[in-house]
Amino acid sequence: MEIKNVLKGSKKVASQYTTWVTFVGLLLLLSILTKGTALRWNSIRNLLIAESVRSFAALGVGMIIITKGIDLSIGYVVCLTASVAASFAQNPDYSSAIYAGHTFPLIIPILAAVAAGGLFGLFNGYLVAYGKLPPFIATLGSMSIAKGLQLIYTKAAVVGSLNQNFKNISQGSVGPIPNLIIYVVIAALVVYVLLKHTRQGTHFYAIGGNAQAARVSGINVERDLMMVYFYAGLLYGTAGTLLASRLGLANSLTANGMELDAIAAVTVGGVSQNGGVGSVGGMMVGVFTMGLINYGMSFLGVDSYYQQLVKGFIIIIAVYFDMKKYARRA
Amino acid sequence: MDTTFALEMESITKVFPGVKALDEVTLRVRPGTVHALMGENGAGKSTLMKCLFGIYQEDSGIIKLHGHEHRFKDSHDALKQGVSMIHQELSNVPERSVAQNLFLGREPLKKTGLIDHKRMNDDTRTLLKDLEIDVKPEQRIGSLSISMQQTCEIAKAVSYNASVVVMDEPTSSLTDNEVQHLFRIIRQLREQNVAVIYISHKMEEIFSIADEVSVMRDGQMIGTYDVKDITNEKLISLMVGRDAKLRFPEFKSTAGETVLKVEHLTSSNNRSFKDVSFEVHKGEILGIGGLVGAQRTELMEAIFGVRGTASGKIFIEGDEIINITPRRAIEHGLGMITEDRRGSGIFPLMNISSNTSIASLREYLNKLHLLKHKQLKDESIRYNEALRTKTPTMETLIQNLSGGNQQKVIISRWLMTLPDILIMDEPTRGIDVGAKFEIYQIMGQLVEQGKAIIMVSSEMPELIGMSHRVMVLCEGRCTGILDKEECTQENIMRLATKFM
Repeated sequence: MEIKNVLKGSKKVASQYTTWVTFVGLLLLLSILTKGTALRWNSIRNLLIAESVRSFAALGVGMIIITKGIDLSIGYVVCLTASVAASFAQNPDYSSAIYAGHTFPLIIPILAAVAAGGLFGLFNGYLVAYGKLPPFIATLGSMSIAKGLQLIYTKAAVVGSLNQNFKNISQGSVGPIPNLIIYVVIAALVVYVLLKHTRQGTHFYAIGGNAQAARVSGINVERDLMMVYFYAGLLYGTAGTLLASRLGLANSLTANGMELDAIAAVTVGGVSQNGGVGSVGGMMVGVFTMGLINYGMSFLGVDSYYQQLVKGFIIIIAVYFDMKKYARRA
Repeated sequence: MDTTFALEMESITKVFPGVKALDEVTLRVRPGTVHALMGENGAGKSTLMKCLFGIYQEDSGIIKLHGHEHRFKDSHDALKQGVSMIHQELSNVPERSVAQNLFLGREPLKKTGLIDHKRMNDDTRTLLKDLEIDVKPEQRIGSLSISMQQTCEIAKAVSYNASVVVMDEPTSSLTDNEVQHLFRIIRQLREQNVAVIYISHKMEEIFSIADEVSVMRDGQMIGTYDVKDITNEKLISLMVGRDAKLRFPEFKSTAGETVLKVEHLTSSNNRSFKDVSFEVHKGEILGIGGLVGAQRTELMEAIFGVRGTASGKIFIEGDEIINITPRRAIEHGLGMITEDRRGSGIFPLMNISSNTSIASLREYLNKLHLLKHKQLKDESIRYNEALRTKTPTMETLIQNLSGGNQQKVIISRWLMTLPDILIMDEPTRGIDVGAKFEIYQIMGQLVEQGKAIIMVSSEMPELIGMSHRVMVLCEGRCTGILDKEECTQENIMRLATKFM
């Protein structure tokens, strides 16, 4: 009888914290399978670095999904912003540089990329909030626009030969902690405060939960919706900058498919596609769960084709449990 | 009277973790009768019906259909056996035609295996004609009025040659005229020897349509009575388990100065309300009566800034409010409890505390413009305690509360904004008798404190019992404002049908 109760209790906890349980379970599984070797600081550090840029995209789209939206333009917007950042950070003596012969202060590539991301966010937000376009379609359109702009801007060439100062933004570290991890922590904290401690963040949940009730409660639904896409755009711009800095180049393949990775990660992290539910903690755990799966399978020598397969199933299972959890009680 | 029952549910017991939802409940329904099933929310009516339709598996008990024991796998199986249910919420496909909806899932086929549209439409036409329903089979069902859609669902039930039809609060969104039409159809069903199980909270309906009434309370069947032998008061006391002499509380308040003045307000939608003028005073409940389609909700939404207006003025405490939005309305001391609790009231996946505080966040910011979570929660608790919201914890999701408790949370939300004027659109819709009375008490206390309430209601007794004055709308125009003494059912109906 007692065991039954314990089982029941743990089942309840498990369903409430699916995300965390999955993450810890995977962690344990991996450490058993590799007898602990996979979980040395060096490995974990590499995992964190690998997932850092995706974290920015996930934080952005996570907020959007909370408002019951979606953003398909992430990959190409990050690609465009990475190219913009890279174009202002090329060595001036590099003959095929976009602005050959010019040197820009370090702040310029960062500002340009973040501004480009922000503008795309405003564009998406305007279409969704005021144009009343379904987010899926609005961002599908802007995805193609971003791709086109990137190709036009770079003439489909690789934007390479970036200066060392720019590369140091992401490649440096403070003591043992890589810069990238610090940036992720800062971004996560900012989004956490926004969602949890500001009026606007609360409004995002309300809009996702019931837009009409939000309107009646005095919430300016259009403005808040536009702002959520804008904030996401700023995060994508940052992601683009960091990606270009880390890779030392940008081309038309940079960040391809990142939208699906980010959406999958936050979904695994418990952000409900039905809107109104999700947390920064969950989003981050989601990102690292997906990272851990990739990393763990590579470490164990699983063929990358199978990795895709496993990832797909994990997403489906995560959403299945999510749907069950929030299904209305009959 | 016929000796065999159309449907017998014998000693049905259903236990959920921690609660006995049904305790040896027995319900017997004769063919050719309308059998009302009554009880407060949570009495077990819906659980009983869910056992009938196989949605829940009962723990013990027997279900017999025309004397033969029967178990339905699901509602589709039940339908095939001639037992159908008409739900409170419409369950049709709005973009498809009436005929397509009626034959959904059993479309007649031609020899080729393709759908025989002609036969489908012809059969539908015959059926609609038999039931005196004035719609064309080809019409898109979503373009019909709610009541027509509901009537079509009844036609659908009939088309399965149903011998038992369950109706779950079928009139909750119908006007008096539409209810009369529905009743005509129900009587026709009765003549065709169909057994109708009629679930409703409305006493008036029970007395005008039902032959027998079964009352449930706390998962038990209290008894089955002949409607001729029972009184309104007796029914209520059976349902609530105590004497309920008063349906409306006494409250003493007199109208003070004008707080809201509306002058010649006309909607930007030219099929909506036109040239409506009225005033509301402190300490007053102004009832708004009229039939569905009278544009009462639209008028309220325009005053609250949810809808646009073409012309007219709105004054709050003497100041004209231009370009009103819900935000501005709230700042000027207006609050609005909407008619559609699920559609525009609750945030289903938010907890009680957040649902309560959502409209007041602006008042609870610290110097850094961050939310004061603790104070927000404390205040939410305070308001919900004052209204006696029944909830396990403040962290419970609002979707897990009963309708009456959800409504109390919504009222708490608006009280927390410290309003002077509260618009309450159908404040007791879908709420059981006990909770209704509590809502009335709250309304009484509010006007005693000097607040003004505008109450839209489709329930005549509520309108007459609670309002100081009643304004009646008909087809978007104000047809009169009645003082307390003139507030009779006849006067209100006369004004509500003035242009019809």
